[in-house]
Amino acid sequence: MSEIILSVKDMEKTYVGGVHAVRGVSFEVAEGDSLAIIGSSGSGKSTVLRCINRLIEPTKGIVQLKGERINTPAAGINDVRSRIGMVFQSFELFAHLRVIDNVSLGLIHVRGMRKEEAESEARKVLERVDMLDRVDAYPGNLSGGQKQRVAIARALAMKPEVMLFDEPTSALDPELIGSVLETIQGLAEEGMTMVVVTHEIGFARDVADRVIYMDQGLVAEEGPSSIIDEPKTERMMEFLSSIND
Amino acid sequence: MASEASYGGGRRFSRSVKLLLPISLFLLIISFSGASAQEVRSGWELVDGGTDSDLQTAEAINGEIWAFGDGGIMLRSLDGGSTWLGDVVTEGYNWSHSDSGYDSILIATDDGVTIILENIGDGEDNRNQDIPIFPGQFLINDVALTGSQEFVTVGGNGEIWQFDGEDWINRSVGITNDLLSISFLDGEEIGLISGEDGIILATSNGGLSWDYRDAPGELSAVDIVEIEYYSSIRAYAISEDGHILKSSREGSLAVGFVWSIVEIEREYPAGGGDWSPGGTELDHDASSLEVLSQTKIMLAGPNGYLSLSLDGGNIVSQQMIPVSNETSFNAFAMQDGFRGVAVGDGGVILRTEDAGSEELVGFEVADFGDFGQFVDYSKERLMDGLVATAKIVFFGILMGFSLGIVLSMLKTSPTTLKNVAQTNRYQLLQFLVMGTLGPLWVILKVPLSVLNIIGRYGAGSNYRAIENPIKLDKILISIKDKSAQIAASEPLNIFAIRFMGTILIVFGVYRIISNLDEISALNLDGWEHIYSPIGAPSSVFWIIFGLAIAILGGIFFSCNGDFSIRDLKVGKAEFSLNPWGIRPLNTIATAYTDIFRNTPLLVQFMFIHFGFELGRRMQDPGLLLFNFEYLYGNANFLTDIFVVYETNPESLAYGRPIGGILEDRAYISAIFALGLNSGAYQCETIRGAIAAIPSGQMEAGRSIGLNYMQSMRLVVMPQAVRICIPPLGNEMVNLVLNSSLAMIIGYAEITRQGKLIVATTFQVFWTWGMVLVSYFLITWTLALFLRYLEEKTRIPGLGISGGA
Repeated sequence: MSEIILSVKDMEKTYVGGVHAVRGVSFEVAEGDSLAIIGSSGSGKSTVLRCINRLIEPTKGIVQLKGERINTPAAGINDVRSRIGMVFQSFELFAHLRVIDNVSLGLIHVRGMRKEEAESEARKVLERVDMLDRVDAYPGNLSGGQKQRVAIARALAMKPEVMLFDEPTSALDPELIGSVLETIQGLAEEGMTMVVVTHEIGFARDVADRVIYMDQGLVAEEGPSSIIDEPKTERMMEFLSSIND
Repeated sequence: MASEASYGGGRRFSRSVKLLLPISLFLLIISFSGASAQEVRSGWELVDGGTDSDLQTAEAINGEIWAFGDGGIMLRSLDGGSTWLGDVVTEGYNWSHSDSGYDSILIATDDGVTIILENIGDGEDNRNQDIPIFPGQFLINDVALTGSQEFVTVGGNGEIWQFDGEDWINRSVGITNDLLSISFLDGEEIGLISGEDGIILATSNGGLSWDYRDAPGELSAVDIVEIEYYSSIRAYAISEDGHILKSSREGSLAVGFVWSIVEIEREYPAGGGDWSPGGTELDHDASSLEVLSQTKIMLAGPNGYLSLSLDGGNIVSQQMIPVSNETSFNAFAMQDGFRGVAVGDGGVILRTEDAGSEELVGFEVADFGDFGQFVDYSKERLMDGLVATAKIVFFGILMGFSLGIVLSMLKTSPTTLKNVAQTNRYQLLQFLVMGTLGPLWVILKVPLSVLNIIGRYGAGSNYRAIENPIKLDKILISIKDKSAQIAASEPLNIFAIRFMGTILIVFGVYRIISNLDEISALNLDGWEHIYSPIGAPSSVFWIIFGLAIAILGGIFFSCNGDFSIRDLKVGKAEFSLNPWGIRPLNTIATAYTDIFRNTPLLVQFMFIHFGFELGRRMQDPGLLLFNFEYLYGNANFLTDIFVVYETNPESLAYGRPIGGILEDRAYISAIFALGLNSGAYQCETIRGAIAAIPSGQMEAGRSIGLNYMQSMRLVVMPQAVRICIPPLGNEMVNLVLNSSLAMIIGYAEITRQGKLIVATTFQVFWTWGMVLVSYFLITWTLALFLRYLEEKTRIPGLGISGGA
């Protein structure tokens, strides 16, 4: 069995104000695996994802990256984050920077590369997501799908050990979803370890090695992608049928 | 692609043209210097004498003006010099000396031919041509009438001859120096003679006997070419090298005994403009002198030199002349203090009706009821005010914007007490070192870097920089290394936090108690205590500080490892509070902005300048740092921003500060008052813009591994600053308008200049109208610039552009 890259143990999160969003979630992701987290809105999927790279601090539980605990004050938070790539639902490209500068920003200021070096690196990554022809464009002039591909390139450029996708296609028009999903699928086939929170059941079925179904802040069902076709629990069955309608 | 292409060349050009308009307007106003707007017309008018022979001498008496010259030329004018008659001719004689008085004019040639023209003004030609042949051996240099038929001549080799109406009598005193000039006070027995090598002789018996007088020692080898006895209390003389000598009656000593060299303070070239410091010598050779009053003198000489001084030679203004600059002027003939002629080579006759004075130095009374003259007078003051305003506005904006950025960052900083409590030991140690040694390091660093910059500028590459004796960077690095070895990056545990809390409580309570005495010593009752921060500022500060520290200590002491919300029960009421959520940096910044936004700017100006005396407090140490000994020879445009020293070695006030921020206390105070106030407002504006940036941008920045400050600097701030250009522009325009309040502390900005203009001219409508126009020009330029900036920095594909 290949090495465990990411492991989450007994993660809990209570927001200020008392909302108990995550009530003890555990899972492991092995190298090269892709994990899809599905579930209805408010089930705590996004909170789990954000707790992994500490955009939100989990209230309890242990997050380990390559066996090293990362959710303690002692762990260098910026170092940890640069090892975990994150793609957001609403892209969050830096609006004042060109595509090439969006991608090379982290390389220059976190990895300490020179500008030319960083830019040639960024071009390589942009080629992977098929965005090389728009390097000088500003995000405001890109379509949603293009923006999300640039966002993926921005995360990829840091050479992360694991990639987190937070509903990467939810903000896109149906006709634009395809290109983004293709890009993610391509990454999965290249062996990138990834955790994808998604509403695209079809995508989860085709791409994910494993699927977690979350409900009420707990893992309700877990297994290989085949569980989507043969759900065991009542809740998941309901959820899937409501989506398929 | 299309939207990108439209963001390019053509439109940018039209934008710069728009920008060009206000800038060029501003430059146009700036470039309105004195000379271009001030019309200078010559006070001299060229009149036609009908001859081109050289005119050597001229006299004005009884309403007639006579001019004499080579080839027997004798011209006379009956109308003050406008038209000339050449009807009287004495051919063959080169008339070169003359004197007038007793209704007569005496003229003489160099070799002693003399004629007396009598009863001038009766319209008849009465001449006494029967004077015996001059018996002297040497040429005559000057003549002076002592009566209607009596005169004295001086000439070469010390010869003095007196003609008593019948015979020539030798009155020489036995010197061999050439005598050059003689002058008698009309109707009196007293006269003066000047000559080679500083010789001055005087008589008090009509020329019967002559005594030596002392000329100043510097002139012992110089020829005194002309002397003029003006009145019983004043005589003037000039030397060939341009010294002006003056003699006054001193107590019982008559005029002529004591001579002094006039200190020439300024010499204005023809047409006004930049003057040159004079010293004791004129820049030009002078050969002729005319005294018009006790202090008003005119000088003439070769190379078109014609000048006027209204104060006895201290300020000498060269005259603009309507003839060639090469004309030699030989003599004046003035009917009174204002009207007369100057004559010279080539038959040149220049006539004046106002002593030749140009408008720049004339006696004209300005008429402020005339708008043109009013603007002439007031524009320089307004210009000075405009520059003064621009200076404080520039530095005020600079300071306000920097302060606004810092404060807004503090206000939005997410650092909570929880973060502070969870500081790990390494960070804590680092913080303690920075807190104790840091200020010391800065105090040493600032003057050292200034000295190093100056030293490097002066001594070049050989200069060895003085290093800061506190090696702060090395200490910090060694702490980092040590803490890595002992794995000290674990956060403080609960006991450590409680221990820290205890220390803070003790420290805070001690601070409060030890300062309470001071407050009670103020003898305040009841509500009077609200003024105690003014009565005992440091005590109140320490009490508030101690209180904050004690509360912080209390929070730390109560730590039980859970940094979340507490429910608090007071009686029946329930509170939920989260002390760990307090953001200390935000609190400090909020205190600052609250103080500055809730007090009037006018009062802040007065408090800062008169109350706190910020200007004085900054000026003295500043001047010590940038003192003349260090800067002399090393001053450059950077140091000039702080202070400019007078470097003219001949000046009396050697090394006096004459420019730069440190010169003027009100200037320093004004910059700080404007900057500190504007910073508080700009902080809120920028904070609003930061809040307008979606939180996802910060998350995205953090998610690729940028730390908080990097994310702020590289991601959030660049977008926030673009958003807040319009409201910030508002703020800056406000700052310009608020700068008018600086008049209250005596800073000579544009409003104060307006007040001074009103005090002189009483033209209220015009003055304040012009002040309004000036302000409008500044703010409008600024507003246009900001619009341009907004367009220029617009992010393609985002938002709508602003401005017209």
